[in-house]
Amino acid sequence: MSAPSAIRATGLTKLYGKLLAVDHVDMDVRAGTIFGLLGPNGAGKTTIIKLLTGLSDLSDGQASVAGYDVVRQPMQVKQRIGWVAAEVILDDDLSGWENLWLQAKLQRLGDWKPRAEELLRYFSLTDRREDKVKTYSTGMRKKLEIALALLHQPEVIFMDEPTIGLDASTRRSLWELITGVNREFGVTVLLTSHYIEEADALCHNISIIDQGRFIATGTPSELKGRVRSDFIELEASDGVTEELLRSVPGVAEVRTQGKAWILKVANSEETLPHLFRALGPERIRRLNVEKPSLESAFLEMTGKKIDQAGSDVHDYRKFYLNVRRSRQ
Amino acid sequence: MSAEVAHVPTVARPAAEHAWVPQGSQFYGLYAREVIKTFRNPWVLVITLVQPFMWLAFFGSSFDAVPVAQLDTLLHAPPGTGYLSFLLPGVLATSMLSIGMFGSMSTIQDKRFGFMKRILLTPTTKATVYLTKALGSATRGFVQIPVMIAAAYVFGVRFAGDPIMWLGWILGLLFLGLGFSAFFLALTASSTDWQTPGVISNFITMPLMFASGALFPSSNYPSWMQVIANWNPVGYASLFGRDILVNGQVHWLYLGYLAVFAAVMLVAGTLVASRYLKVE
Repeated sequence: MSAPSAIRATGLTKLYGKLLAVDHVDMDVRAGTIFGLLGPNGAGKTTIIKLLTGLSDLSDGQASVAGYDVVRQPMQVKQRIGWVAAEVILDDDLSGWENLWLQAKLQRLGDWKPRAEELLRYFSLTDRREDKVKTYSTGMRKKLEIALALLHQPEVIFMDEPTIGLDASTRRSLWELITGVNREFGVTVLLTSHYIEEADALCHNISIIDQGRFIATGTPSELKGRVRSDFIELEASDGVTEELLRSVPGVAEVRTQGKAWILKVANSEETLPHLFRALGPERIRRLNVEKPSLESAFLEMTGKKIDQAGSDVHDYRKFYLNVRRSRQ
Repeated sequence: MSAEVAHVPTVARPAAEHAWVPQGSQFYGLYAREVIKTFRNPWVLVITLVQPFMWLAFFGSSFDAVPVAQLDTLLHAPPGTGYLSFLLPGVLATSMLSIGMFGSMSTIQDKRFGFMKRILLTPTTKATVYLTKALGSATRGFVQIPVMIAAAYVFGVRFAGDPIMWLGWILGLLFLGLGFSAFFLALTASSTDWQTPGVISNFITMPLMFASGALFPSSNYPSWMQVIANWNPVGYASLFGRDILVNGQVHWLYLGYLAVFAAVMLVAGTLVASRYLKVE
C-alpha cells in the first residue's frame, strides 16, 4: 500500500494573458517524500508553487494540497503548508524571535514557544534569537526561514530554489538540513531547482519541466535510465576531421563544443577501442567519458542544456538585488 | 540530530478557518508589527513630530505683525484670538490627511520585498492586512496630536471649553485620520510603485486642505469652494475643534459626521482591498 498523496493536481493550467505559463500539468506527490521540479528559469516552476499555495488563481484544472482543495478551501491549505522563498523573505527590522512570534500569530498558534525554542536549537540559532534579522548571514536567514516554515507543523513545505545564491559549502549543509527536515519531521517537500546535482542529491521523485509542461517524471535513477547514450568528449590534434570521427564504429553523432568534439555513442566501452585504432594515441590530447546522468537526461529530453541562455546570470542578479533591497 | 528532533514539541492546529471569520490573532500580530517598526525607526518618528510643529512655528507666525483687530475681522474670531489659536485645530486636521501615506508605503514595501506573500501564505485574509495597515498608519499619525497640543501651549495658545469637549475633539481627529488612512490605502491597494503614495498624497492634500476652512475661514471662499468645504471632513474637524478651543462651544453633530466618514471609508476600503490588494 502506498502513502496518500500530499499534493495532487490534474490539468493544472495558468495563463498570463496569452502566455501559457503552466500547461495542463498532472502531479501526484506521495506524503513524506521530497519532490523536485527541475527546469530552467521561466519554465513555470514558481508559477506551479503559486498555484498550489493559493497565491495565484488557476486558469484551469484542479489541485489539492494536504487533502484540501486549493480553490475551495484555501484557508485549510494555508494552515498546512510552509513556504521557503528563493529570495529569503523575512522582516529585517524584527529579531529572529519576533519573526517566529509573527508567524505564530499569523498561523493562530496557541502554545508555540516551546516548539520555536527547539527549532532555533535545531538550526543553531538560539544565541542570535534576539538579534535583528538584518545582522544575520545568508545561511542563517535561510535557516530561520525554514524554522518559520516548520513552526506550525505543516504537512507540506514548498521550497523555491532553496540554495540559489549560496556558496558550495552552505549549499551542501542546506541539503543535509532539507533531507533531515523531511526525514525527521516527516514533512513532504516540494522543491524547485535548476541545479541538476541538487535534484539528484535530494529528491525521491523529479519532474523535468520545460515551457510549462512536464517532459518526464520519475526517480532520478529512472530518468537517468532513459538515456541510452554515453557522451565522449575529445580534444584531438588538428588533423582530425568530422568525417574521420563519423567513420568510427558506434559513433551516432558528432558535435563540436569549443575546441573539443562531443561524440554521442551507444556504449563508450565498445567504441573507445575503435576510436583509439582510428586516431592513434598520438593524436588524442584529452578524453572524457560522460555516463548517463540527469544532465544528459535533460539534454536528451529537452534538446538543450539546463543552464543555457545565461538564465543563471539573470537569476543571480535578481537574487542579489532582492537581498540588497531587503537589507537596506 | 534525530535525537533532538524527537523532543521538538508539537503545537495544536487551530480549528478550521474561514475567510470571513474576524481574525483577532492575525490582526494583533500584523498591527503590532506596524507599531514596532514605527517606533524602531527614530527618524520617521522625529520627522512626523517636527512637521506639524514647523507648521505652527512658520505658518502660525506669518501674521505676527498684522494688527490684532484686523486679524480678528479676517478670521471672524472673538477679539484677541490670534492666528495660532485659530490655526491649531486646522493644522491638526490637515496633518490627518496624509497619514495614510505611511501605511501605503509600508504596504508597497511588503509587496516589493515579498513579505506580502509570506503573510498571504498563512491563513490571513487581505481584509485583515488592509485593516492593520490602515490602523497602523493612523496610529503613527496620532502621535502628532499630543505633541502639537503641547507645542501650541508653549507658543502661548490657551484653550476654551472643558475636558469632555477636548476629548471629543481628539476623538474627531482620530476618526478623521482613520478615515483618510483607510481611503488612502484603498486607493493604493493594487499599486506596487514607490512613487504612488507621494503622488496621491500631494493630489488629495492640496485641494482638501485649502477647501476646508482649516487655514482660513471658509466664509471668505467663493461659492464653489464652499460647496467642497461643506462636504469636506477636514473642514468639519477644523470647525469642530475651533468652536471648542476658541469659542468654548461644541457641535456634537460634527463628531457624528466624522464617525460616519471613518466608518464608510473603512467598510468601502475593506471591500476594495479584499478584491484588489495585490500580492506582488
